[in-house]
Amino acid sequence: MEDVMKSFKNNSMKWRYLKQALFFGTVRLSALIIVLALGGILFYIIVNGIGAISWDFITKPPTDSMTKGGIMPAILGTIYLTIGAIAVGLPLGIASAIYLTEYAKEGRIIRFIKVGINCLAGVPSVVFGLFGLGFFVIFMKFGSSILSGSLTLGFLILPTIIGASEEALKSVPQTFREASLALGVSKWQTTYRIVLPNAMPGILTGSILGIGRAAGETAPIMFTAAAYFTAKLPGSIFDEVMALPYHIYVLATAGTNIEATRPIQFGTVLVLVAVVLGIDLFAIIIRSYMRRNKRW
Amino acid sequence: MDSGIMKLHKVNFYYGQCRALTNISMKFVKNKVTALIGPSGCGKSTLLRLLNRMNDLISGTRVEGEILFEDKNIYAPDIDPVEIRRKIGMVFQKPNPFPKTIYNNISYGPKLTGLGTGNMDALVEQSLKQAVLWDEVKDILNKSAMNLSGGQQQRLCIARALAMKPDILLMDEPTSALDPISTAKIEELIEELKKNYTIIIVTHNMQQAARISDETAFFYIGNLVEYNKTDKIFTNPDIKQTEDYITGRFG
Amino acid sequence: MSRHIKEIIIKYIFFLFSLVSIVVLGLIVFSLFREGLPIFGKVSVRDFIFGMEWYPTYDPPSFGIFPLIIGSLIVTFMATIIAVPLGVLAAIYISEIAPASIKEILKSVIELLAGLPSVVLGFFGMVIIAPWLQETFDLPTGLNIINASVILAMMAIPTISSISEDALYSVPREFKEASYALGATKFETIIQVIIPSAMSGISTAVMLGMARVIGETMVVLMVAGGAAAIPESIFDSVRPMPASIAAEMGEAPFRSAHYQSLFAIGIVLFFLTLTFNLIADYVSHKFRQVGSGTL
Repeated sequence: MEDVMKSFKNNSMKWRYLKQALFFGTVRLSALIIVLALGGILFYIIVNGIGAISWDFITKPPTDSMTKGGIMPAILGTIYLTIGAIAVGLPLGIASAIYLTEYAKEGRIIRFIKVGINCLAGVPSVVFGLFGLGFFVIFMKFGSSILSGSLTLGFLILPTIIGASEEALKSVPQTFREASLALGVSKWQTTYRIVLPNAMPGILTGSILGIGRAAGETAPIMFTAAAYFTAKLPGSIFDEVMALPYHIYVLATAGTNIEATRPIQFGTVLVLVAVVLGIDLFAIIIRSYMRRNKRW
Repeated sequence: MDSGIMKLHKVNFYYGQCRALTNISMKFVKNKVTALIGPSGCGKSTLLRLLNRMNDLISGTRVEGEILFEDKNIYAPDIDPVEIRRKIGMVFQKPNPFPKTIYNNISYGPKLTGLGTGNMDALVEQSLKQAVLWDEVKDILNKSAMNLSGGQQQRLCIARALAMKPDILLMDEPTSALDPISTAKIEELIEELKKNYTIIIVTHNMQQAARISDETAFFYIGNLVEYNKTDKIFTNPDIKQTEDYITGRFG
Repeated sequence: MSRHIKEIIIKYIFFLFSLVSIVVLGLIVFSLFREGLPIFGKVSVRDFIFGMEWYPTYDPPSFGIFPLIIGSLIVTFMATIIAVPLGVLAAIYISEIAPASIKEILKSVIELLAGLPSVVLGFFGMVIIAPWLQETFDLPTGLNIINASVILAMMAIPTISSISEDALYSVPREFKEASYALGATKFETIIQVIIPSAMSGISTAVMLGMARVIGETMVVLMVAGGAAAIPESIFDSVRPMPASIAAEMGEAPFRSAHYQSLFAIGIVLFFLTLTFNLIADYVSHKFRQVGSGTL
């Protein structure tokens, strides 16, 4: 009788551990596939793109109907649009988050605002493009311009910045606020002098990830800012610009000689990936450094 | 006996539906140390935070009754809680210096509230001396306060509160997070401070209450059970419940 | 008292700022409707949504977007089938199994994958995957449903994985300990305790991943092949809604019926993703785990 129980138990434990091993194997495989996907994409892009990269490629404009030359105007345009998006999204996002974390009391209005932010975060990028076209380009009469593109991208990254700022503000210890308020310092002064400075590194690193997204988006700028080709560099915020993501799309789908310009395409992709992932990686490294050195 | 600097009249306090303080009437005597004692959850910390309106920060709370400070109800609608907190300082359970320099921790309050129009250096020095911290930190005033030890941080927080020149200093278990040596230092400091300030201290430590306070109030489940001279409370309390608590039979 | 008033004014200024997101949502609806609604004076809503023929530039034109809707749904469905297992399993690995160092690296990898611009992924699908598919399976084109779905899955994985991981991570330790104390293996604990507890978070993750896929533009524009017809196999080309908008807006004359119909597709797309997001929001709030006492 005892032997029967024993063999039953042993068998069952073996089977249970076998199941566990199979499951863990599958789980590890899934993680591996994701790593290989990213690694594979980056590998292909770097191997194929590195040959096109040169000082002239980065600093010279395209020539011969964009089949030769560099991509300097597109790099510059992407920088302009990204800075514009930051100028729109960052102040609005931080101010929103300050209200939500420092002033608002739980209730229907807050719930409503938060659902709104989530919904805005889910609006497809091409719909943002339509919005930018319908509202900034046509209704506000800004035309297809850096201004329209920056505003569109700024609102696109607004939810990301609000989220990052909220998280950073919440991580400032409540005791800091209490200590300041107990001294008879007003709410706004407490927020401005104690809470915001301590949250700022977190706000910025969190927002950088949103900024990376702004630099890489194509659909929102297709109808609002991006030009197929511009003969000269933009002179004001009411001018159209070339931009890296749109340039890739144009070269890859509608170029003069798609096959012949492959190296230029890969080179442009490599530059865009380097810019965007460089921005992201910078934020990730700073963030993990900050987490390790946190004092409270 | 009418030197009561702060008087409570039939105060009730609620967290949402839950009543945390029931019908408290008492007064705090000027330039004395009053200890609030009682088992955890008896409402003593809640009461302390009522006195400088810190409970305003918790949503869903409600106060009934009157708390008079300088003969004015601090919960009257025309009273600005910020103004109250300037006159009634607070030291918290855990030291909570700002992640700033020692100097800036002290100057922070006076600067922002417009008190520090005079000589800031002198005010910083005076406050740190009052908190008996000056000798330890006078050469590192521009170093971060986060580098100080726990006991030093707590004295810094006391100095920070004193820099506002408050009338009353509220202390919420100020030594519970500290080692015995730091605790002794803070107790000495309290002894010194009561010459100039009215101090109301919440403590879990019975010996501490007996050592440093002039008056003691015993709370139990939101009620003020007994309030009298400390000597009286600790030698011959009127109420059985108080005696049981003090002699360690419960709590 | 004046300081008191100043404080109140500051509070209301910040309140106004917090409404910006809502205002933008309102402006999006306003702009889409202003430019898109006039099409319904020319085509009925029914014919627009259920019409089988999308020939906006023919004479007479035909504005039936049903094939585009089907195109969107099919690539979304396929991408979800690929992305959900990979994303959720990776989340389980990160949250429950991986050692700390690998965990950090893997989280960064997923964040970087999320950061890859969509045009780059589209380019990759077009230049690398499409020729490979075409040769291997001897197809007329490698720009088709399966290609688009694989790439879209890569875009959905970071969303699904990071939100699922948050949900798994926030399962109270007491639950796990209770399970181990009963002699359950780690696998049994994960399957029978942790995943059920995190189910609402995982569902939210899947909904948000799908919302991201259905609205994604550049990938379907470059990789899905662009045929506005109901597909018969996963190797057929399709033309999902975002692809139509992006591809045709440049050529549609200002405020023509074609232009208006593209905005109208935008309306459909907007409300489709809005629905996904609201469901996700509802699920995550309705079944929110509050401490270990509830459930």
